[in-house]
Amino acid sequence: MDIKQKALEIVAKIAGKGVAELEPKHELIADLGIDSPKALQLLLDLEDELGIEISDDEAAAMDTVGDILGFLGSSA
Amino acid sequence: MKPSFPEPPSTLPEAFERAAAHFPERGIAVFDSRGRASERRTYPEVLASVRRAAGRWAALGVRPGDRVLVCLPTSWPWFESWLGAMFQGVLPVAVAPGAAFGAAEAQIRKVEGLVERLDASRTVVTPGFRRDAERAGARRTTEVAITFEELSGLAPEGSTDRRPEPAEIAFLQLTSGSTGQPRAVAIPHRAAIHNAIASAQAIGAPHGAPAHEWAESMVSWLPLNHDMGLVGAVFQSLCAGLDLVLLPPGVFLARPRKWLENLGQHGVTYAPAPNFGYQLCVERLAAEAREGLDLSSWRAAMTGAEMVRPETVAAFCEAFGPHGFRPETFRPCYGLAEGTLAVTFDLEGQGVRTRPLPAGAEDAGTGLSEVVCVGSPVADTEVRVTRPDGRALAEGEIGEVEAKGPGIFAGYYNDPAATAETLADGWLSTGDLGFFHRGELYISGRLKDLLIVRGTNLMPHEIEWLAESVTGGGGALRTGAFSVARGAAGEEPVVVVEVTERDPEKLGEIGHEIRSHIGRALSLPVADLVFVRRGKIPKTTSGKVQRRALREQYLNGEIERLDVSPET
Repeated sequence: MDIKQKALEIVAKIAGKGVAELEPKHELIADLGIDSPKALQLLLDLEDELGIEISDDEAAAMDTVGDILGFLGSSA
Repeated sequence: MKPSFPEPPSTLPEAFERAAAHFPERGIAVFDSRGRASERRTYPEVLASVRRAAGRWAALGVRPGDRVLVCLPTSWPWFESWLGAMFQGVLPVAVAPGAAFGAAEAQIRKVEGLVERLDASRTVVTPGFRRDAERAGARRTTEVAITFEELSGLAPEGSTDRRPEPAEIAFLQLTSGSTGQPRAVAIPHRAAIHNAIASAQAIGAPHGAPAHEWAESMVSWLPLNHDMGLVGAVFQSLCAGLDLVLLPPGVFLARPRKWLENLGQHGVTYAPAPNFGYQLCVERLAAEAREGLDLSSWRAAMTGAEMVRPETVAAFCEAFGPHGFRPETFRPCYGLAEGTLAVTFDLEGQGVRTRPLPAGAEDAGTGLSEVVCVGSPVADTEVRVTRPDGRALAEGEIGEVEAKGPGIFAGYYNDPAATAETLADGWLSTGDLGFFHRGELYISGRLKDLLIVRGTNLMPHEIEWLAESVTGGGGALRTGAFSVARGAAGEEPVVVVEVTERDPEKLGEIGHEIRSHIGRALSLPVADLVFVRRGKIPKTTSGKVQRRALREQYLNGEIERLDVSPET
């Protein structure tokens, strides 16, 4: 499966939404309700399930679903 | 194993020396940020590395009494930076690292605000943070920023066995403090030591001996910028000579099983956590994820820092009982940063005991009809419940909880007005409401306007200020923030905003911007955002928002909401 599609599924699962509901402009905290416990789960799930590494500084710069996809695009 | 407990130390550096001398095999293991591997140092090794770090601070030219911010995640660099400064007589201030996602800008603003407010001489940051701060034009931060790598590259200078007085301030503890305007609680050495030892005694009460005589280790995931993580885990392990296993908070939040696994691997052990930590274990770990856990050597599970919720306690016991967890392991406690940490402790060890909330008492956002016994005052500490006029109340009557004793703070740093409001004749006004029953304290609610979301304190004005920076309110247009209980998850924030705008679509846009602003600055999703017409938020004659009255109206469904499209 496409790495971005897989990432969307991980985000959707943690946000408690369907993949089809997610839009790149959605902010993780304000729009998807991803509070700090969920954010850390998201970070580690992305790393573990996609087999990638995201530094703390890189994650801190990601606001939206689109930022995550963009990061995957640039690092893939 | 019963190591002999040495004569209690009187300062934190002395506590490190005693631990190194009396418990040379024990020490601290710190896991990396993903919880994959840990690096363990014995107390003699910790002491040696901290002394070197103290010499490096001296080489940098910082002087006793200077403030140094430590903006690092849980790691050995955190310990060397923070403790090294403290050994040098410098006042270290632990700053919460930014949230995992999208927090970069807000974190820079927060640190810039703190550097300014505390007039910090130095702030220890990561290389990435410094680069971002420079780019963002955070001038004060950039001037004083130093990375740990730079600090550890310096040659130590001068004597590093400075002997502070027990009454000297050891460190500053930030209360709430998400937007750079927190109060900094000044904690003297003797208060830190007293609290650590008094807690170890209290924890040991049902076991017939202080914790150090029967426990071997402590396992904590609590942040080091939080009083429960710093005093309750680090200083207590140090003073009791326990092995401390530290997980960065993010590792626990992402993988709560790691905490429980470690609790089964380090002999007779104990651990503190706020209620939400226990709740997270119940929610995240389904039956199959609990398999293989052995919690039978966990002898005390302190629960405090936010309201203890009976339903969480019951759910945790049910889920983890089959894995060796005993209900009497739960030990409710009550405290606050202004009391260094612990004020009262359940000494009975009979499990969590509750009483119905007395008739007529408002629950102040907790949503609880049963409240938990948080026990008796820790050693040498007095606790009373008073009316607003200062008269002490009898058993069963609800009033403000006040505390006096050697663990009470010295005041807010550089803020005599706030200190005078909180501390009078040695009595700390906690801002919490409670009552006594048979000599034991029950916390029933909160007098102060404060939100406690997942163990973290948030001042309502921080949230209101963020909302008003979007609406341009603040003058005639008011904003009120408070929390309501939403089931076992505990408190969630509600924000009510006065606006002149009526167009539902425009309000939808403003609403999104407010949520986004608060989300980025505080890593906090707003549970409910309500727009009302100008003048609808109750206020005092002097124009101050009456948050408790507003909350009451909200809960009673008496607020006239303006239409928003799309609904949020």
